Amino acid sequence: MKKKITVNKQEIDWEENMTITRILEVMNYTFKMLVVKVDGKLIKKQDYDRFVVSAHADVKVIHLISGG
Amino acid sequence: MIKINIDGKKTEVQNGTTILSAAKKLGIDIPTLCHQPTVEAYDACRLCVVDVTDGKKTKMVTSCNYPIRKEIEVDTKSDKVIKTRKTLIEMMLSRWPNVRAIKNLAGEYEVEKPRMKHPKIDYNPNACILCGLCVNACSEIMWEDIIGFAGRGDKRKVVMPFEEHNIACVGCSTCENICPTGAIKMVEDPNSPVDGARIKKYGYNVTKEMAQLDADQCDMRGVGTAHLAEIMDDYDLLPTMNYQYGSHNDTPNISSPVFKKKYFTQGLPDGCYLGCSMACAKTAEGFELKTGPYKGEKVLVDGPEYETVGGCGSNLGIFDPEFILESNFYCDTYGLDTISYATSTAFAMECFEHGILNKERTGGLDLRFGNKEAAMEVLHQMARGEGFGVTIGQGIRRMKKIFAEEYDLTDAQIDFMQDIGMECKGMEYSEYVTKESLAQQGGYGLALKGAQHDEAWLIFMDMVNKQIPTFKDKAEALHYFPMFRTWFGLMGLCKLPWNDVEPIDNAETDEPAKVPAHLEGYVNFFSGMTGKEIDKFELIRQSERVYNFQRVFNYRLGFGTREHDAIPYRSAGPVTIKEYESRSERYDKELEEKWDYDISGKTTEEKRDYLRKMREDAYEKLCDAVYKRRGWDSNGVPTLEKMQELKMDIPEVKKVLAK
Repeated sequence: MKKKITVNKQEIDWEENMTITRILEVMNYTFKMLVVKVDGKLIKKQDYDRFVVSAHADVKVIHLISGG
Repeated sequence: MIKINIDGKKTEVQNGTTILSAAKKLGIDIPTLCHQPTVEAYDACRLCVVDVTDGKKTKMVTSCNYPIRKEIEVDTKSDKVIKTRKTLIEMMLSRWPNVRAIKNLAGEYEVEKPRMKHPKIDYNPNACILCGLCVNACSEIMWEDIIGFAGRGDKRKVVMPFEEHNIACVGCSTCENICPTGAIKMVEDPNSPVDGARIKKYGYNVTKEMAQLDADQCDMRGVGTAHLAEIMDDYDLLPTMNYQYGSHNDTPNISSPVFKKKYFTQGLPDGCYLGCSMACAKTAEGFELKTGPYKGEKVLVDGPEYETVGGCGSNLGIFDPEFILESNFYCDTYGLDTISYATSTAFAMECFEHGILNKERTGGLDLRFGNKEAAMEVLHQMARGEGFGVTIGQGIRRMKKIFAEEYDLTDAQIDFMQDIGMECKGMEYSEYVTKESLAQQGGYGLALKGAQHDEAWLIFMDMVNKQIPTFKDKAEALHYFPMFRTWFGLMGLCKLPWNDVEPIDNAETDEPAKVPAHLEGYVNFFSGMTGKEIDKFELIRQSERVYNFQRVFNYRLGFGTREHDAIPYRSAGPVTIKEYESRSERYDKELEEKWDYDISGKTTEEKRDYLRKMREDAYEKLCDAVYKRRGWDSNGVPTLEKMQELKMDIPEVKKVLAK
């Protein structure tokens, strides 16, 4: 059975060495003003490329309101 | 990446990185007086000199503007470098002996007494040291050239042109804030605030954020709101062909890089709010018109903004940037709103495609989606008061009535128009697909003036972040945000600097969606301007009084009740079979998981109808929850108790509510 992670309450397949950048790519989250938390811990933007998410992690990618 | 060695410490940097920046990352301190990361390096003070060895040759350069292009060795503390810095400090000290920044450097470099005597010695501790930061900040951050250098040699000074007050200066105080010596002081503030310093402090923070962060956030200075076109497409939110779909393969043709590369010509403050460094309105100069009374002329187009791109572009099925620019120009010239023109025309186009309209009824216009010639002709007809443009120009609410009365339509066709006519309270929807966000359906339907998103834009919070899952959560958001955003209107302020640029540490706050630092800034703005101390709760309270009064006003005029908050079903879900099937995986999943509906053996029509029943029911429940949160009765009318609580139970209000 494939391991999963939860991104914004939605389950997706987990991958080996899955970084935040990869998660954003899989989810097609292209908006730039984001707050990312993994299991409640804030991940800073400069760490998106190197922070690796473990299987079953709970990831929150909070998009801040924009819109005119 | 390029390898470099600074004072024996090795690192790798990107091509073009300055030595100063690389040294800073290594924790190596190089003195500066005229350097700020927000403005281009200027090498006025030259204190940042370092020795650079490239192969066998060593030369002295200013590190603030020396780009690293190849492998080099840098010595920031060679004898020659230290001697040069000491001489520079000595010269500055001879002219400005009491300026703290120079005195500190003199202490650090053990320069006790200058050997030379300056003919223009200035004992003022706040003397201008001609670093040029103010001049560059005015030009680069504010896109103004209010101040500049005049004179040469020891006569050189910072002035406004001809040393007279430049009326273009709005007192933004960027120069005052960036000045390292305190030489610049604002002496006049035309708005006479009670506490100007308090306001300037907040204003300067936003200006700084714009200078430092905007390019990596929304790029409002670069492209303005047009950047939203590609974002909305990625999230299936860009209205396409009268809000049927949320994305399209041709969206890259009308995305912001196209406008930035090919059409936007001005990087200037637009003057919409003097002193605003966000300066988000863009223009396309020298645009040659293809149609209409100005055909063949080259004009300046003010825009396009996102709503115009979404409305006149994707929502009409026209993925042509030049059509968008031309319709933008003519809407502005004719005094028409691009959103109302676009959304009304999109409705007419869908009616045409479904046989409610035909060429006979449109006076020969072939109003299929994507037909830009027909869409442009509609616009000109609206302005001339001719042809079918007159009908479309009356808006969707009236079109529905006219078509039902004048054409021999079936009940199903009349119902269909009701479902796809994207208006609420007679106002056309702006350009977001709301089907997957119940909260945003409320954002449009429950807005007092009609289907506008400027009271609440909750799609990301609701649909993407899933932060407000319950009716109570959504109702809270539909209370807070409309009240907060109403406050901007009450104060005559723009809302874009609230959340289209955000402090770098916003993510670490308790409520990032509210941008707490900016909320605090607005509180300070109000208190600084009026002298009346308020807090963030009173700010909402101020809006609540007006908002509820407006709702009572609507009620008095026969509106302002539940029936007027009803939305077209296209706003809540798929109207047609084709629409359902285009996102069937999403809808099937919702039916099974959320509504416990067994889809096996069901036709698309059956599934669509069941989904509709569920979603329409959810919208009604949302209204219930919002009315309750806002202190309104079940018909959406403010209660007398609520008006009493707000101290708005004035006799006229009481009389209206007693009805």
